Amino acid sequence: MTRRQRNRELHEEVEAHLHMAIQDRIDRGQSREDATFGALSEFGNRDLVKEVTRDMWGWGALERLWQDVRYGARMLRKNPGFTVVVVLTLALGIGANTAIYSVIQAVLSPIAIPQPDRVVMVWTENAKRNWRQFPSSVPDYQDWKASGVFSALGAVSDNGFNLRLGDRTDRINGLSVTPDFFAALAVPPHLGRLFEAEDGQPGHNQVAVLTDALWRSRFGASPSVIGSSIVLDGVPRTVVGVLPKSFPQIGQEEIYAPFIFDPATAANRGARYFQVVGRLRPGLAFVAAQQRMAQLEQRLSRQFTEDAGNSVAIQSVASAWVEDAQGLLVVLFGAVGFVLLIACANIANLLLARGTSRQREMALRVALGAGRWRLCRQLLTESVLLALLGGIVAVAPSLAAIRFITSFQLDFPNADAISLNSGVLVFNLILALATGLLFGLAPAWQAWKTNVNDAMKEASRSSTGASHHRLRGLFVVSEVALTLVLLVGAGLMLRSFAQVRYSSPGFDPRNVLTVRVALSDKQYATPQKQVAFFERVVREAQALPGVVGASAVDDLPASDNLHGTGIFPTDRPAPRPEEVKVVLRDSVMPGYFQAMRIPLLRGRYLDQTDSATSSKVAVIDEFTAHANWPGQDAVGKSFRPGRTQPPVQIVGVVGNVDQGILVKLLKGQVGQIYLPAAQMPAPAMAVILRAAGDPDGLAPAVRTLVRAVDIDQPVFDVRTLEAMREKSQAPQRLATSLLGSFALVAMLLAAIGIYGVIAYSVGQRTREFGIRISLGERPLGVLRLVVRQGLVLATAGILVGLAGAFAITRLLTKLLFGVKPTDPLTFVGVTALFAAVAVLASVLPALRATRVDPVIALRCE
Amino acid sequence: MAAKDRYQNRIELLQGTLDMLILKTLQWGPQHGYAVIHAIRAGSSDVLQVETGSLYPALHRLERQGWLASEWKQTESNQRAKFYRLTPAGRKQLVSETARWTQLSGAIASIMNPETSS
Repeated sequence: MTRRQRNRELHEEVEAHLHMAIQDRIDRGQSREDATFGALSEFGNRDLVKEVTRDMWGWGALERLWQDVRYGARMLRKNPGFTVVVVLTLALGIGANTAIYSVIQAVLSPIAIPQPDRVVMVWTENAKRNWRQFPSSVPDYQDWKASGVFSALGAVSDNGFNLRLGDRTDRINGLSVTPDFFAALAVPPHLGRLFEAEDGQPGHNQVAVLTDALWRSRFGASPSVIGSSIVLDGVPRTVVGVLPKSFPQIGQEEIYAPFIFDPATAANRGARYFQVVGRLRPGLAFVAAQQRMAQLEQRLSRQFTEDAGNSVAIQSVASAWVEDAQGLLVVLFGAVGFVLLIACANIANLLLARGTSRQREMALRVALGAGRWRLCRQLLTESVLLALLGGIVAVAPSLAAIRFITSFQLDFPNADAISLNSGVLVFNLILALATGLLFGLAPAWQAWKTNVNDAMKEASRSSTGASHHRLRGLFVVSEVALTLVLLVGAGLMLRSFAQVRYSSPGFDPRNVLTVRVALSDKQYATPQKQVAFFERVVREAQALPGVVGASAVDDLPASDNLHGTGIFPTDRPAPRPEEVKVVLRDSVMPGYFQAMRIPLLRGRYLDQTDSATSSKVAVIDEFTAHANWPGQDAVGKSFRPGRTQPPVQIVGVVGNVDQGILVKLLKGQVGQIYLPAAQMPAPAMAVILRAAGDPDGLAPAVRTLVRAVDIDQPVFDVRTLEAMREKSQAPQRLATSLLGSFALVAMLLAAIGIYGVIAYSVGQRTREFGIRISLGERPLGVLRLVVRQGLVLATAGILVGLAGAFAITRLLTKLLFGVKPTDPLTFVGVTALFAAVAVLASVLPALRATRVDPVIALRCE
Repeated sequence: MAAKDRYQNRIELLQGTLDMLILKTLQWGPQHGYAVIHAIRAGSSDVLQVETGSLYPALHRLERQGWLASEWKQTESNQRAKFYRLTPAGRKQLVSETARWTQLSGAIASIMNPETSS
């Protein structure tokens, strides 16, 4: 039976009762009028009877909740200004949290492989040489493989391929993997098969496995692709399998080819050039595996000089998977959490202030018999209602924030899965509920303590008023403290980012277009052919209209593939392996320094005269010169770029260039050497073109130019140097802009909080100020009195906040460059800024206090 | 004044006592609320006046507890009314309430009039 039916039945029951009572009275001889009046008055209050009867139906709780909700909605409608402010504040706080959570949910969703906790990355490490998560060599890999710790141990190396389909050739990213790589991940193929042991044998390796993305984009998702032939680097290969869509992506790879170790390096323990992934043997615990590998590596490091001082690190892929993103996300999640807490404190503050004016209402309701619990529930219902409204409105800002974050195109795992999905919405809802309960607690507690007698009396400045005021002060102090932590964090990020962004890169990144070309080693097997190709491309590029300079380099500064080498000066004995200084090595075409505008400090640039047959030369940067030949002129000195390499003579010293944040974070400043490409050829180079004007306009001309030289060699990574720098700074830029805006919002909220409390207190003390002014106090004195109150609150908050910031900014270490987490300048600057804001927030209400008219102030009591 | 006397003689019913009186009244057959009030008043010689604000909540509560059931029927004077009747569980409840009441009233009587009971 529905509630409506029950109500109608109750009504009929009561009417029947009355009808019978009236009839009885008429039967006893009363007039109809008298009978009706008598029966009605005998019956009593019909509505009241119905209501107490309804209470017996047992759905009182739901009914009361609905009543509370309706009452709450009415209260919110009656104060539209208050409601809008609170809902918008909450929408920002909740929206930011929802957006960050959606990123975290996508990024931290588990890697899609069976038993991911059994799959590990195996890294070479060396504390003395500052190697962390270093690649490995073939002999080490084979010894590890024979250890019995792993049921499968695969080697992986990233690789680019020139994929030719029809008359179109594209550069695509791929991985070279040994067959054990797929065995270790144990993900079945979507179509066909993965690599088997035979595919890893030289001569049998003309096979390839496609990723789902490549299969869809280039092969129309056709199942008949299995067994078909494609041309990779000019060599035909058979497609044997297609991976499922969920297969974990390590980088941007689209294709897999078997990894055949280069015979030249297969016996060289020092040639570390690939990563190792394994699956632990069933039954072997992670810790046991670690111990056995540590013992094995200890033996190897004693046995072979190349491995001296080495250790091995095992890391589960699940943690390797999220490692890069984690630092940033923890910081952002913490920051949005703080913003929400601050918003809650502010709203609790507003509610408390309003609660004081509602105290009479509450007391009246208690006097009329409302239970305290009922009042608390009523207030909590109002809070939760507000929060839910905030949560609903929050969807808009969180969508905007998600779009903003994804626009940075970070290399997060599962970055394309970041969206406002149902899981995120559930989080949003729970967060809104929790928020409502959180900021509703203080006013509810206040209602609980309502003292009927005190509240009903006219004097509103009772002891309860004072305790509310203390509570509100406490809220402001915690708000200020949280805000200060955020401000310090944002300040540190800003300083760090400014260092990265505005420090001179050492070259002129404006108006430079770069395109990469990777020659297939089948078609360009000899260094001479490779050099000839790039010489021709550079020569023709120089002749393009709008080009003022062109050259080529194998590794662009701050790009994500860099080559390092040891430096061995010939004027002293060779250092022990762990003491070798590592420098970045570039092969450059003539004109590189001029095109990049890297300044010459001493000696000369490399030029056309440095050919394959002339004496071997190098140009080094200032840092390397200073590190190896301090106080001497490095020009004329010689060194070997690698222990067994022939010596080269230094002909020039150039300025340092920015090597990108990645290198700086991992290694600090590292030296850089430049060798002539003619003497140290590279099969893959970036052609750089300095344009007279807009560099983007040159792209089509370069493409045509390279096609004309050789149609099989595609150009890729066409972008300007500025765009490249921008991309390498994306995580810092994102963290800085998000943290900065969170901190600004927080500061605004905290300022409103201070303002609110001071303004309220000024209102309460109007009479006191009136007396003071009438006794001759100057406006400045009153001003000082009020501002001091604000400053006391702010100072308490700032002190707590500084302590908190000091403890917490260590989390930022991974994201900071060039500033310490305890950077005194940031701490002092932020404190000063915030103190100024606090003064401003108190001065406004203080000014009102100085304008109190004593006559009015005294009369209004 | 008779009306006033009657008013003063009204006895505040103990919690639970009304339930028992209702169950007892319905022992002889289904009745509607108006009749229950009349029966209790007549049975107590006008001493017990049951307020509608007590009767109807009690009827609905007892129905919810499963001791009463209700249906809409016509009265003798052709008035449609909601009739309550005892359920088997209600009958059992009446027996145990009666026993408890007898015990309680006997105990109170022996305290109030020690000479007659000893």
